[in-house]
Amino acid sequence: MTSDEHLLLQNAAAGDPSALETLMSRYSGRVYRLAHGITRNPADAEEIVQDVFLQMVRKGTGFEGRAALASWIYRVTTNVALNKRRGKRYEVETSLEDFLPTYEADGHRAGPRAFLVANWSERPDAELLSGEARRTLEAAIDRLPEHYRAVLILRDVEELSNDEVAAAVGDSVSAVKTRLHRARMALREILTRRLGPSA
Amino acid sequence: MTCHDVIDVLADYLDQVLPPEIAADLERHLAGCEPCRAYLATYRRTRALGAQAARLEMPDEMKARLREFLLARLR
Repeated sequence: MTSDEHLLLQNAAAGDPSALETLMSRYSGRVYRLAHGITRNPADAEEIVQDVFLQMVRKGTGFEGRAALASWIYRVTTNVALNKRRGKRYEVETSLEDFLPTYEADGHRAGPRAFLVANWSERPDAELLSGEARRTLEAAIDRLPEHYRAVLILRDVEELSNDEVAAAVGDSVSAVKTRLHRARMALREILTRRLGPSA
Repeated sequence: MTCHDVIDVLADYLDQVLPPEIAADLERHLAGCEPCRAYLATYRRTRALGAQAARLEMPDEMKARLREFLLARLR
């Protein structure tokens, strides 16, 4: 942790509004995105942000010098969000197996050729991030197990390395890579079923 | 390299961490395989779309409540 962060935490713990403001402007967005990404629920995400910030400020200067504040924040936010989800699993989550590619014995992908060559990747953001396509994407993200969503957010939104994600979620790098790849493949499959080949 | 092999290592390929000889094999496969080219293009776009969809801002009213919440507990 930098001396600047150390001072900020010290001042925030003493109730200094400007120190709190600085910590919030640096970190509240990241905590919210991760918490919302895991829980998919704004009210739950808000509770998590409050919880994480309170823990952070109360911990104050008790952080070990080596630990980067951002790493601690990602780790604690992930834990708190996954714990909150544990209490209320939603039924929409399904096995990803139905959305992963299948193969012929010779290693070629199985399925109708028109589907296999469907390529909607050049369609504009305006089309893919609004209307029916956006709803399909959001519903697809909802269907991912929360551990997969955690990895997806940390890697693809927060742009952490595989090692950093592994530290945040408390898993091996190889487990992180597997989850990330399976999550992306499942989202890709759901989008392709909606967007191609004839749509 | 088969389509199965290609898809198994796509994430590493996009991260540019594949050993050069495997990346070269993969690119040779891609040159002759339209389904795998489509898969790579849509996989890459999916990664970007997922990130864009999740890149939320914390609402201002929520920030205000967070500020009040913390100040009330730290005073």
